[in-house]
Amino acid sequence: MAKPIQLSPKEMINAYLLFFVVHGAQIGVGIQGFQRIIYQDARHDAWISVLLAGIATHIVTFCMIKTLEIYGSNDLYGIQINIFGKWIGNFLNAMYILYCFVAFFSVLRNYIEVIQAWIFPSIGTWFLSATLLIIIIYAFTGGLRVIVGVSFFSIILSLWIFPMLAFPMKYSTAASLLPILENDFRSILKGAHSMTFTIIGFEILNIIYPFVKDKKNVRKPVHLALLATTFIYLSVMMVSITYYSEGKLLKTIWATLTLFSFISFPFMERFEFVAVCFWMLIILPNLCFYLWAAYRGAIRLVNISGTTFVWLFSFFAFIGTILIQTRTQINTINTVFGQVAFYVVFVYPILLWLIAQLKKNFTAKKVKNNEQA
Amino acid sequence: MNKLRGKSIVLLSFVFLYGCAQTNILDKVGLTTLVGYDIGAEEKIATTAVIREVNPEFQSNVEVLTTENDTSKGNRMDANRKLSKKIMVGQMRVILFGEDVAKDNLRYYIDTNLENASVSNGIYMAVVEGKAAPLLKYEYQNIEDIGQHIFRLIEQNVKQEYMISATLHQIAHDYYSIGKDLAMPIIKRDDELVELSGVALFKGGKMVSTLPAKDSFYVKIVRDTFKVGLYETVLEKEDIPSKFLQKPANKITVAFDAIHSNREMELVDIATPEFDLNIKIKSRVLEVFPDINQGDPKSVAGLEKAIEKNLTKEISRVIAHSQEVESDIFGFGEKYRSTVRHSKLTKDKWHEMYKNMKVNVNVDFVILRDGVFE
Amino acid sequence: MKFKLPFNKKQSAPIKEAPKENLVRVAHETDHFIQSIKNATNNPADLIIKTLPPNIALIYIDKLVDDQSLNNDIIANLQNNLYETPESLKVALSISEVNISSLLKETIDTMVNGSVVIHVDGYPQAIVANIASRESRALSAPENESQVIGTQVGFNESLSTNISLIRRYIVNPDLCNEKLKIGSRTNTSVSLLYMHGIANDQMVNTLRQRITDLTIDELLDSAVLAEMIDDNSLSVFPQMLLTERPDRFCDAILDGKVGVIVDGSSMAIVCPQSFTEFFQSQEDQNLRWQIATFVRLLRLTAFFLSVYLTPFYVAALTFHYEVIPQAFLVPLSESRALVPFPPIFEALLLEFIIELLREAGARLPTKIGQTIGIVGGIVIGTAAVQAGITSNILLIIIALSALASFTSPSYMMGNVIRLIRFPIIILAGFWGFYGIMLAFCFILIHLLRQSSLGAPYLSPFYPPRLKEMRDSIIRMPIPLTAKRPALTRPEDNNKFEPEPVKPEKS
Repeated sequence: MAKPIQLSPKEMINAYLLFFVVHGAQIGVGIQGFQRIIYQDARHDAWISVLLAGIATHIVTFCMIKTLEIYGSNDLYGIQINIFGKWIGNFLNAMYILYCFVAFFSVLRNYIEVIQAWIFPSIGTWFLSATLLIIIIYAFTGGLRVIVGVSFFSIILSLWIFPMLAFPMKYSTAASLLPILENDFRSILKGAHSMTFTIIGFEILNIIYPFVKDKKNVRKPVHLALLATTFIYLSVMMVSITYYSEGKLLKTIWATLTLFSFISFPFMERFEFVAVCFWMLIILPNLCFYLWAAYRGAIRLVNISGTTFVWLFSFFAFIGTILIQTRTQINTINTVFGQVAFYVVFVYPILLWLIAQLKKNFTAKKVKNNEQA
Repeated sequence: MNKLRGKSIVLLSFVFLYGCAQTNILDKVGLTTLVGYDIGAEEKIATTAVIREVNPEFQSNVEVLTTENDTSKGNRMDANRKLSKKIMVGQMRVILFGEDVAKDNLRYYIDTNLENASVSNGIYMAVVEGKAAPLLKYEYQNIEDIGQHIFRLIEQNVKQEYMISATLHQIAHDYYSIGKDLAMPIIKRDDELVELSGVALFKGGKMVSTLPAKDSFYVKIVRDTFKVGLYETVLEKEDIPSKFLQKPANKITVAFDAIHSNREMELVDIATPEFDLNIKIKSRVLEVFPDINQGDPKSVAGLEKAIEKNLTKEISRVIAHSQEVESDIFGFGEKYRSTVRHSKLTKDKWHEMYKNMKVNVNVDFVILRDGVFE
Repeated sequence: MKFKLPFNKKQSAPIKEAPKENLVRVAHETDHFIQSIKNATNNPADLIIKTLPPNIALIYIDKLVDDQSLNNDIIANLQNNLYETPESLKVALSISEVNISSLLKETIDTMVNGSVVIHVDGYPQAIVANIASRESRALSAPENESQVIGTQVGFNESLSTNISLIRRYIVNPDLCNEKLKIGSRTNTSVSLLYMHGIANDQMVNTLRQRITDLTIDELLDSAVLAEMIDDNSLSVFPQMLLTERPDRFCDAILDGKVGVIVDGSSMAIVCPQSFTEFFQSQEDQNLRWQIATFVRLLRLTAFFLSVYLTPFYVAALTFHYEVIPQAFLVPLSESRALVPFPPIFEALLLEFIIELLREAGARLPTKIGQTIGIVGGIVIGTAAVQAGITSNILLIIIALSALASFTSPSYMMGNVIRLIRFPIIILAGFWGFYGIMLAFCFILIHLLRQSSLGAPYLSPFYPPRLKEMRDSIIRMPIPLTAKRPALTRPEDNNKFEPEPVKPEKS
């Protein structure tokens, strides 16, 4: 068995905070415009795709927790080294760090794109990326407690956005959802597959698990978080399908933000302008967790201090955001990343669990044999 | 290290100052409140913009500018050249289309406004009888800001449920929907006033016909749930048995306030297609002329019957008219699409079917109460 | 300067080698002794030496001792009788605090503190009788934290008076009072107060160690001490509460917090203190819970208004004209029509004027200060609008946010609110809502990073404790607040046995 990670109680977090960790890591830029992508495949049954994707996250998380429980107190990096040996394990770890980097980068670049498209067309990408990175570095250097705190407040303080969905409901026609299941199952599944980019984030569990104080109680908050995420995606999807007509939804790039477009209060109109900026708070946990996950991996590979790592990481992300300029490039990255993420997040954990289980049985037998002999 | 950090912070702040965004200071921009589109010479787009400018003399003045260009953005540039302030469209409230534009195709105008993030989805759209430019350019005696005025006019009528609502979102929704066509209010100049004169029916992006303003009530009642709205109808003599009348009369005028209405569409026959349209209206009778004894339950029931009959007739007439011009502004196609599995419906296909559609209108009219004086 | 100490590290008493001069003994001969005292104290003008024949000398510093007890209890006793030895003399004195000291340094220290030194010729000892009388003002109402309902007494500058005030509120032997001395030159007395059996030992140890670890030469006020023993002295947010209300101090101590009182300062330090507690007033406890809740919500709204209202105005007018409702559009743009500056400059200018008025009002004598505030506010405000350098709507907004910033019960926090507004206005002026959000996130993370005496600063919101959250934004009815806040990690969790709100009638 791999060496468990030793941590002082001060660094650990309570299990119930995992709700905020998982939920905060899942919801990010994807929700701003995932409707169109799912709708392309699953048409008005897109909400079933969302539901299926939500169920898939539960299954995958179940396997993840099973795998982690086998190893007691260890993260994905340790498990990989244990299962695949030092060389392959380290290679996989490096790949996972790269995955975290791309995820981080893609969230960052997409958000910058939204800001540029909605409010500041002329502002420099480098400026937006630099300011966001500084905020993230500041949060990261505060340690895990601060990062979890950010995700907690990000959720609590954005709760008020959810009821805003009631405004577009005024123009909703429930008939748009009918007939249910008109599209064949393949396209619905395809739609669920397209959800990957939006729904990932819960794989942070693989890394944060050793930091949880009461590991027995992990399941409940995590599954609740997944449930909450699915519920939010589902309601956003339902409202979008009923609010937009077929053609319009396909042409709306950030359907969620457009939903907010006509919301007006006596003191403020055009709510989406506030929402776009407020989204910064919602993507912060995304970015922080990917950065932190990458850092946890990096310190296993090389001896690097947190400060050096975060500056290096941010530097590369910064360069990346400058290099990727056009919408087409961003979309390509999203698509490719979504496909890779599907295998990393949805397929790999199940495989890993099977391998870990097999290995455990094998070693147990071996020990037994040894004892008998 | 600390020194270095201090220096880098100073450096950073300078860098950030450089990264400052382009400003749109409120009093330095000319706010377009209304835009009217016409077809100009050589198939160009003629844009008439009502622009509100604020001057240091504490007065805001309203400029009405017409420019012609190939694109609407080009028009904006042209207008910019004529004004002292940068023109912005973020506060636009109404878009008007000249009749010739509406009869051509609206697609370009819908798309270009959807594309622009600073244009709200809640702006109203309407068709102008004739051209938009003269309506806007006319110097009205009592209307200071024509953009504001038209916006208030439409908004008030929509809120009171006198007129169908046509915001950019609804227009785009119907335009991109398979089973529904868009409809817009029509406005025209009536001497010194601007008036909502009717409803324009569209087939796809083309305006095909109009209905008089009075019929907008029927359109509304079939299109969506109706909450508050005043309506007046004239019952023919044969509709209502004369025994209820206190005085014999040829025509009876009834004004009522629909408190609540509910509409149900049911597809009864896929092939034809045939729909049942059940409409329930709960209302408050405001005025009956000549007088009817409203204390008598029988006469109230008779009145209800008469109104039902009248409404059924009128609604059937409006629907028949829309069928004639193949403009499904009521969303029957939407119902068809959502009920029939694998219908593979397209807009053209539906327009074909719509012509031959049969609708059975059933109105259930309930008088809840009248005023406080019997 | 950071005083980050490992929290669970127990204090290890440092063994100090006493310097040589501390070991100099008291001389046998009175003349010798007097000379050595004169040398050590640099022969001050107010040093009074009184010889009582045949063999006794009194040495003290004028006005540091109580004249009445000096005459009645010491001189009267000594004149009538003859004492051969210090021991017999000590017994004869009718004063509560009399000691015999044989070290010169110790003798001088106590003399500077207000003792009379009595030397009997021929003995290497001196008697020190403490009859100190400190100049101090009478107790008065707390000026910076006034309340409508509640006690109208505040701390004054005398340590002993303050402690006696606290002892009057908490009549309990468990109230611990530890005396510490800080400042190599000022030798300021500092008292550490906490409830034994409630306060967390680790916290007390940490605080004690932070105070004793300080190597400074002067300590004139508790605010200085608070800044130095803060977890993060560089943060703009205070992490310890400064209060001049004994009732608030006692309430905090009874919650398991630790208090520090500095001699010569009328403000007491209370820690650990969470961010939300800065917006709670002691008066909340004295009002019915519904009213107190309303007031708390009002303060919370005031905080957000104060910080974000002006930036919002600046951002909306500079970049996001789309969000302005049509009803505001015309009045806003017309009021701005004459203003030659961009909104950011206009807002900064007005904020600057308001701060000027506030500062001038605070520096001037109370009566003139009030006049300046009103006259300055009205005259400058109206003139600025008429001259066309600001819009009147902004004037309202600025005045509102200034007003809102004064609702914070803690003056220190009010200052912070007023200060952090400036960078946010600048950010809003450059990058609109994005800038505001940037500042918001930064402040949020900053607050998350802070701790107060090792306890999380944003408690009870993060780490989330649902039950205490209820008692922070709204004030729960007293029967429902049986538990002490977990922030202080109290040894005894319950204030009282939780009982049903309305005991059933028997």
